[in-house]
Amino acid sequence: MKSIQTTTFDVMVIGGGIAGLQTALDIACQDYSVAVVEKGASIGGKMIRLSKVFPTLDCASCITTPKMAAAAHNDNITLFTCCDVKSIKRERTLSTQNISNSISPQNNNTQRNRFVLKAVVTQRARYVDADKCIGCRKCEYECPVLVSDVEQGGFSARKAISIPFSNAIPQIAVLDADNCMLCGKCEKICPTHAINYFQESYDFVIQANSIVLATGYEMTSLSDKPQYGMGKIPNVIDALQMERLLAPHGPYNRVLRPSDGKEPDSIAYIQCAGSRDRSMGVPYCSRFCCMYAIKQAMLLSGSLPLAEIRIYYMDIRAFGKGYEQFYQNAKAMGIEFVKAKVARVDAGEDGSVTLQYEDQNGYGMVTMNHDLVVASMGVISAWSPKGICNVSQGLDNFIHTINSKLSPTLTDMEGVFVAGAAAGPKDIVDTITEAGSAAIEVSKYLRYLYGKERGLKPVSTISSLKAVA
Amino acid sequence: MVEENIQQHKKTDELSKNLDKKADAMKALRKSCKNRIDRVAEIVREQKRALKAIRAQLANSPSTIPEIAASTDMPTDIVLWYVAAMKKYGQIAEKEKDDGYYRYSLQGESHVID
Ligand SMILES: Cc1cc2nc3c(=O)[nH]c(=O)nc-3n(C[C@H](O)[C@H](O)[C@H](O)COP(=O)(O)OP(=O)(O)OC[C@H]3O[C@@H](n4cnc5c(N)ncnc54)[C@H](O)[C@@H]3O)c2cc1C
Ligand code: SF4
Ligand code: SF4
Repeated sequence: MKSIQTTTFDVMVIGGGIAGLQTALDIACQDYSVAVVEKGASIGGKMIRLSKVFPTLDCASCITTPKMAAAAHNDNITLFTCCDVKSIKRERTLSTQNISNSISPQNNNTQRNRFVLKAVVTQRARYVDADKCIGCRKCEYECPVLVSDVEQGGFSARKAISIPFSNAIPQIAVLDADNCMLCGKCEKICPTHAINYFQESYDFVIQANSIVLATGYEMTSLSDKPQYGMGKIPNVIDALQMERLLAPHGPYNRVLRPSDGKEPDSIAYIQCAGSRDRSMGVPYCSRFCCMYAIKQAMLLSGSLPLAEIRIYYMDIRAFGKGYEQFYQNAKAMGIEFVKAKVARVDAGEDGSVTLQYEDQNGYGMVTMNHDLVVASMGVISAWSPKGICNVSQGLDNFIHTINSKLSPTLTDMEGVFVAGAAAGPKDIVDTITEAGSAAIEVSKYLRYLYGKERGLKPVSTISSLKAVA
Repeated sequence: MVEENIQQHKKTDELSKNLDKKADAMKALRKSCKNRIDRVAEIVREQKRALKAIRAQLANSPSTIPEIAASTDMPTDIVLWYVAAMKKYGQIAEKEKDDGYYRYSLQGESHVID
């Protein structure tokens, strides 16, 4: 039997989105070692895929890329990409471990019986030697297979071997085995002999004293919505696809209708397309959709000044600082807000989309045509701990937090914390604030643990421990 | 000198043995993935046909997506998907707008996607 390699860190962060990266950076700067485990081929989460961000309209990539680079270059942070966490267990261990954040150097060699968290992680094969790949993309240019590029909303293609996207970190190619015909072209052209068709996935163990869950969110799919055409109506897209159309490195480098490349003259947003809707299993408000729809509408009116832009909404929830002003600015720019619930979406003539909605101002059922329709889908949890670890989920399936008002990052498993959208829909401002809070809870917990190990008095008033108790 | 030659021969011998081994392993891998390879090869053949047809139309004159679709007998959304990919890999460039549609023309090295 092959022995499984174990690597030890002070903290393991699961998820390399903005929540995971901010938490990791804040923990690492206290001189603790951190492993960031990301399931995708690049860190950055949803934020690196956005165009600009509300409420400042700053370029998303300009804020996220420096954070990604800071994490990648931090000596205390180790990134693991293309990884799946199979199990997390608390195990009793005899500790002889070297503790990085030294509180009392005299007692460094103490051996004690205590609990650690052990995660079994699967490193999926990239079929590229990560130590050899220099990210030159020669393999990508040479590969003859075009594959639909989900990173570009499916509107363009990548190759069967590719660097995930232009500002991905790490810049290491990934070979998509399902779409590779083993022609050998990439291997021949690779200047560093990094291609390895025989690479296999393998398991390894990460041992840590604390874990932060930062697994973020996913969106419900248009294909689950029969009233809106189940994703089969041309020119009905979701908001993340619109982010790609608006991004400078988007599939068309401008906003065009995906059905035929026409510049749209009329664009509509359907709010609550997958939220506040029991039939979709999402009875709650997805929180940030109103704000991103307003943001996208503003960006569209900048890039297509002659286009008519409408937002069909039930309520506008402009909840954060300066958000109401942002909403008012959008109205002043000429974006039309129509209070209505869209009942049906159908394919119209010449690629247009026909909406039927009940007008709340007494006009009854109204039919309207648009060139392009964006559905603000529901936000759902990206990860379930079921079968992996003993952390509970709330009724909404997001990670359950046990003290949501005072310490929103505490879970019901000792040593395990949560940050960002993993605990519920959250915008970037709230996510980053919560990541800082999770980092502080972790460092308090580690100080308590390591202090106890060294025979020191525990740090007093530790909310995390009180809550666990 | 003789010793050096012998060492060199040994090295080349080892290298070719390794290469033989690798070639055998590749053969075995291709055999075990035959179904997938056949499926992808068929897709690639279709993609090459489509790319050739789009390129032929663009060699005639810069065209909009509907114009390319009409001349190649392909759906407009599929044409746009190929055009976006060709643009990404430096094969074509966007030109002026004509009645709501942009025109595209050939540029750069045509071997990049073929
Ligand atoms: C269309 C759209 C536009 C938006 N625009 C804005 C905006 O302008 N301003 C704003 O403030 N907010 C905006 N948001 C919200 C913003 O995306 C979130 O606030 C932010 O991404 C939350 O970050 P996160 O790190 O918690 O989650 P995510 O960004 O979802 O990151 C989670 C990471 O964890 C990884 N992961 C998941 N499961 C696992 C696992 N099991 N193992 C390992 N890794 C895992 C994922 O691959 C991902 O990298 C927008 C959202 C949408 C949908
Ligand atoms: S695998 Fe080779 S060719 Fe491809 S990006 Fe890496 S170094 Fe370049
Ligand atoms: S071996 Fe696969 S990934 Fe490499 S060039 Fe051929 S088809 Fe593309």
